[in-house]
Amino acid sequence: ERNLVAVERVAYSKGLPPEAISIMLEFAMSLRTSPCVRVLKCLIPATVVPQEAVVRAVVWLCVGKIPLSTQVLFIKWVLTMFDMIDAKDQLHSIYGFLFSFVTEENLVCVVMILLHLRLFRVRKLLDLQSKMGRQPFLMHLLSLYKVFCPELVTLSLPSRMKAGFRNHNSQWKSALIAVQKKNSFQVTSSVSLTVRLKDKTNPRKRKHNHLEVPALSSAVNTQTNPSSSRKLVPLVQLHSFSLLLENLHHIELPAQMGSLLGSSLALQYLDCVQDESAFLRLNFWLGHALHEEFLFCSSGVSQNSEEVLQFLDRLLSSQHFLQEGFSSTEAFLYKFLNIWDGSLLRPQILGMLSNIPVVPSSCIRQLLFEPLMQLFFTSTLFFKVDNMAAFLSEKRVENMTLSGFKDSLMELVHFVGRLASVGLQIEGCHSLLLSFILDFYETVCDMFLKYGLPLVVMPPAGVFYPALFATDPMSLLLFFFFFIRYKVNLMSAKTQEKQTEAFHISRQTYREFNHYLVVMVNCLWNSKMFQPGMGVEMEEELLVSSKVPQYWSSFDFIHHPAFLSYAVDFHHKCWPGSRNVDFNSIKPWGWYLEYLYAQGFEGLKQFVQSNISRRSTAGDGQGDGLSADQR
Amino acid sequence: MSLLKPFSKLPGLNAANILLVENEEQLQQRLADALVEETAVTVNVRLAKTLPLPLKNEKSRPRIDLVVFIINLTSELSLQSAEASLKYLDPGYFLGKVCLLVTNARNASVPPARLDTVRKLAASLHCPLLCAEDQTPDGVTNAAERLLTILKVAAGLVPMTTALYLSNLTRCTVPSDIDQQGFD
Repeated sequence: ERNLVAVERVAYSKGLPPEAISIMLEFAMSLRTSPCVRVLKCLIPATVVPQEAVVRAVVWLCVGKIPLSTQVLFIKWVLTMFDMIDAKDQLHSIYGFLFSFVTEENLVCVVMILLHLRLFRVRKLLDLQSKMGRQPFLMHLLSLYKVFCPELVTLSLPSRMKAGFRNHNSQWKSALIAVQKKNSFQVTSSVSLTVRLKDKTNPRKRKHNHLEVPALSSAVNTQTNPSSSRKLVPLVQLHSFSLLLENLHHIELPAQMGSLLGSSLALQYLDCVQDESAFLRLNFWLGHALHEEFLFCSSGVSQNSEEVLQFLDRLLSSQHFLQEGFSSTEAFLYKFLNIWDGSLLRPQILGMLSNIPVVPSSCIRQLLFEPLMQLFFTSTLFFKVDNMAAFLSEKRVENMTLSGFKDSLMELVHFVGRLASVGLQIEGCHSLLLSFILDFYETVCDMFLKYGLPLVVMPPAGVFYPALFATDPMSLLLFFFFFIRYKVNLMSAKTQEKQTEAFHISRQTYREFNHYLVVMVNCLWNSKMFQPGMGVEMEEELLVSSKVPQYWSSFDFIHHPAFLSYAVDFHHKCWPGSRNVDFNSIKPWGWYLEYLYAQGFEGLKQFVQSNISRRSTAGDGQGDGLSADQR
Repeated sequence: MSLLKPFSKLPGLNAANILLVENEEQLQQRLADALVEETAVTVNVRLAKTLPLPLKNEKSRPRIDLVVFIINLTSELSLQSAEASLKYLDPGYFLGKVCLLVTNARNASVPPARLDTVRKLAASLHCPLLCAEDQTPDGVTNAAERLLTILKVAAGLVPMTTALYLSNLTRCTVPSDIDQQGFD
């Protein structure tokens, strides 16, 4: 035990010399019990890994007495240290053995990266697939093969293989980087066969190697396939859109897919060609970069550095350009939200959030809603506001049936409604939050127009009443506008429903709307607040004991707290010099309303005109009012 | 066993008391400095390494509104110490007056199993789990702000919202392994 600790200490500080590696590796692989795992974990080489050691270890692997998890660990280790193996010729010849592990599901994801492309291997895979059916791991393998030699794999693979490959090598990698920093070596972060990031000659910039979007360069095609007769033009040589168009069918993608993120031309090409293998490679690189930088970072790396921000901004603009998000961004985001503190890179993360497609409701609850809810309620007002803004821009159509999409969207809207109601309650109906929430509901309201969806969702009571009783005029104004929008949309929905039987807006929605409208008019115009059936009901004694005179008119136009300053102003204009301000003396209301319109309350004007029919008798400001659409 | 009780003393006027328990005693101080910056409410911060708290201060100690356990994920000892200290809390605290704060959640050297353990612990206790970035001053300020949000509710200073209500909204759930889930 003590020896093990000593070895670990040396390994983590300076790295083990090659002989030590071979001895320890042999030792580890010949054990059957748990110390083996610990030994494997501390095998950090100082310089190189001798090839024989690896070969002997593979021999032990084939003996078959090692538990499966250790086998996986070993292969992951080989993967991580792949570039440090001094010679690989012997390794090449034993790939056949490694290939035999393909049937083991756990090993596949890592084994295949070690494999070279050979025709017979692809054939074997295809045979296996025909025997076992379309197993997901086989599909991954095949799709990766297709990336390199498309002509060998002629199957049609499902588009957008979404699973990423687990990037759990990072524990070693970080230790490796630390050791090499001490030994002042250059680090080449080995991602996979496809992506080799540029070797930096300057060792000091090493830390952010994996974040650099590499420059567009042509692919290094080591395996010249004589059967391919097409002349391919590397993407880097195309500088203008017209050139792109000319050569559309002969373009060769670069080796480093990450470089595509930087160039709009490349993105356009990607978008129109819709090449699955290209997307797969890009997603793989992207997923790895995001994981490395944000999910499994080594300590001490400053997160808000310029490079990080630039990278994320570039990613966001690419997604915006393509009008859709990458699947690896989505996967990363779900994981990140669980460990996010709410403030790190907030604008970028929220930007990514708005690019997420609307997914089926069974997943969305757990993946997205739970962490968001937790963050929302424990964070400050400004986070809440930012979050609302993010929800505003989030609407994207995914390949789903219409009803499935509708359901998910409904759930999203209800979720936001819930957040909004409780958020308002906790923040004391803060006007900034309220304005963003109303904005959101306006967007929801327009959903019907924009997407032709038979969907009209009323805001919950927790949003309606705070807005109605808001104490600042801006909120009330917004509220009027938004209510009018709703009415317009609802009316046009009704007419459309009569024409086409395709969609149907439930009676419930109409009833809700009518109820709200009645409440509003009664409260504001008819001075019939707090009466039974008017939404907010309170006991008579309670209201009387509050000693507010004429409490039923306490929220109408002349008494509403939001209009207080205007009422006072108006009163002064009418009766200049009078010291007692009695609002009840403001009648008829017509003049007062005109005054309000002149102050810029356009929304109020529309609301009154469309909803209140006035049979005003002389001197009495109260019309009788309701031309609400009863159904 | 001397339990820390939530309701055995009277609250102060417009004041909130928070107790930060951390085995390493690294983040507590910085958090405390950020917490007392709050001007709207008088925030009293008490620091401790573990529970139970020393008996000699029992009389002079005010009523603690929120107990925060700070767990550094890179050290197993931190988690064990927090788990041991949890036993010295009166059950009344678990109605929204306890909170777990983890640091270094994004660190590569943290075994993922540890975060899962903490998450399961938080879920079983029905208390929120916050993640904090303690490497930067901004991260510390943000963590302090979040703690203040919860503290104000726990101290009863936010109308219409009780600690239990908030804890229901912010409860921690244990996500199933996302890698295995297909997104189709």
